[in-house]
Amino acid sequence: MRRILGLLLLALGLAWAQGDKLKACFIYVGPIGDAGWTYAHDVGRKKAEAALPWLETRYVESVPEAQALPVIDRFVKEGCQVIFATSFGYMEAVLEGAKKYPNVIFAHATGIKRAPNVATYMADFYQVYYLNGLAAGALSKTGKVGYVAAFPIPEVKRHINAFTLGVRAVNPKTQVLVRWINAWYDPAKAREATEALLAQGADVFAFTEDTPTVIQTAAKKGAYAFGHYTPMLKFAPDHVVSGQIVHWDVIYIDFLKKVKEGVYTPKNLENVDYFWLLQHKAVEMGADYGVPINPKHVPLLKKAQMTVGGKKVSVYDRIMALLKDMQSPKPAFDPFTGPIQDRKGGVRIPAGKKATLEELLTMEWAAPGVVGDWPGEPK
Amino acid sequence: MEEALLRAVLFGTPLLLACLGALLSERGGVVNLGVEGMMALSALVAFAVGLKVHPALGVLAGMGVGSLLGLFLGVFAVSLRANQFVAGLALAALGLGASGLLGKRYEGTPLPNPLPEGMLAVLALILALGLHLLLSRTRFGLYLRSVGENPKAADLFGVSVDGVRYLALALGGGMIGLAGAYLSLAYRPSWTDGMTAGLGWVAIALVILAAWQPLRAILGAYLFGLLFFLQFRLQGSVPIPSEAFAAMPYLLVILVLALSGRARAPKALGQPFDRGR
Repeated sequence: MRRILGLLLLALGLAWAQGDKLKACFIYVGPIGDAGWTYAHDVGRKKAEAALPWLETRYVESVPEAQALPVIDRFVKEGCQVIFATSFGYMEAVLEGAKKYPNVIFAHATGIKRAPNVATYMADFYQVYYLNGLAAGALSKTGKVGYVAAFPIPEVKRHINAFTLGVRAVNPKTQVLVRWINAWYDPAKAREATEALLAQGADVFAFTEDTPTVIQTAAKKGAYAFGHYTPMLKFAPDHVVSGQIVHWDVIYIDFLKKVKEGVYTPKNLENVDYFWLLQHKAVEMGADYGVPINPKHVPLLKKAQMTVGGKKVSVYDRIMALLKDMQSPKPAFDPFTGPIQDRKGGVRIPAGKKATLEELLTMEWAAPGVVGDWPGEPK
Repeated sequence: MEEALLRAVLFGTPLLLACLGALLSERGGVVNLGVEGMMALSALVAFAVGLKVHPALGVLAGMGVGSLLGLFLGVFAVSLRANQFVAGLALAALGLGASGLLGKRYEGTPLPNPLPEGMLAVLALILALGLHLLLSRTRFGLYLRSVGENPKAADLFGVSVDGVRYLALALGGGMIGLAGAYLSLAYRPSWTDGMTAGLGWVAIALVILAAWQPLRAILGAYLFGLLFFLQFRLQGSVPIPSEAFAAMPYLLVILVLALSGRARAPKALGQPFDRGR
């Protein structure tokens, strides 16, 4: 009986491999209209569908993390061959679903656990944050840069640290004041956190929250800001300097192509982990698509000087040189190259060493220059 | 310090407006749990009109939508004598869902000419004072209170219980709509799905905190605004974890509620009025 079932499943699998449409389904944690995380994934889905004529997609939005398994059941019943789960909190549901449906391919965004039919993927911003940090360090007159942060998890901490390392590379005295709002999406909290930082003298802002609230609030008081996740230049054309922009479609298209070609099967995904950066074009530095730095602020950054290897260079030139390097197939520079100490003085990355992927993904320490509460900070 | 007071007023304004709106109908005996959804839909319509026509007209549109939704709730809570709590919750879900669905096209669009927050904050204060006078000094206020306390007696005296309740829901809805318009036209001049983010529910709790008194609502809303600002202003400079700060405003509300003793709710609150019984 089992053998017959196995054969049947194999036949099914073959039928799908030869069928002309591949069906990929997406589970979103938020509403598509959030202008942030889920919106960006949906843009990626649409671009993949436009680029791959043999692709058919489906999605369900605002799926609470405890409700993911029923959605997976439904997707499988509807014939989904690839299921993308786009929230860290879906991890257990994905692993359970993968066991239940061994012939379906799962891909889990920001995940850390894999299985023969579960891959993980992430488009990461830490390099872009470092470059934005350089610009922020050059632009701050008060020596205080504000950061409105979502949740104190390694991903956000890694980004704040990279940003702070950039800020301090330009001006070692500048502080990065961090305020946690403990929410991915809460415009009112983002607004009041920004107001609090403005009241404390911050004049440049970066953030992790899914709306342009921080930018709008900062711009009202004339402060600079860096966009997050999607192009946000239009919300304050005179005050948005640059920002982080994601391109999930690059990962989706690559992954789905490999599924279609039979490179990825439900048996060989144990080691498939995308951690895609600038060089893979999964992320972009910019105030808008194709605008790495708002032209209005280029003269300021050209005038600002920093010291690199004992030589004075303009901050603008440094950013552009590093951006070019990081976009090349084999980047020579990485923001997390030692010697790096945490803010308590402990050595985190020894001289000459680069942080490993494992170290990046589990980062809990705070870089020197970070000021504020830091939940989970190692002793 | 001035900054903190300013934030208390500017963040407290949408809470105050929504609280006044809910308070008005509750004084007439109708519980309105739909505030969150009413605010969300008003915020969307206000933004759409503000973007396409003029922000000032957006304010009127937001208030209009709020009033209509108030009347819509009235159909169920007053005329059909449905369970007010269920009807309100349904309205909250409906408003949130509808605004998310209809608002997709306004996602990621900034409002080029936002309204000054200060102006609307002053308007909210005037409305609070006006509502206080309306309730305590006018004939309509007397009718409204009697309908909320003892609808049977009010009915015997020839007051139209249903009519007064509808009027209260429409007026209160207008204020709730104004709270939504404030959010999308002034406080955060743009629109995103779910931008009310729980403010409507806080406003409902504030009605109790304010003991159904408009003047106390002013204090309650501003107190909440102040705490909200302070949690970020103080974070990092005092040894309290950020999670505890996030809970602080709510904890204080509970504390104040516990200390304020038994604030008396309108006697007929939540009870549909049926003349035949």
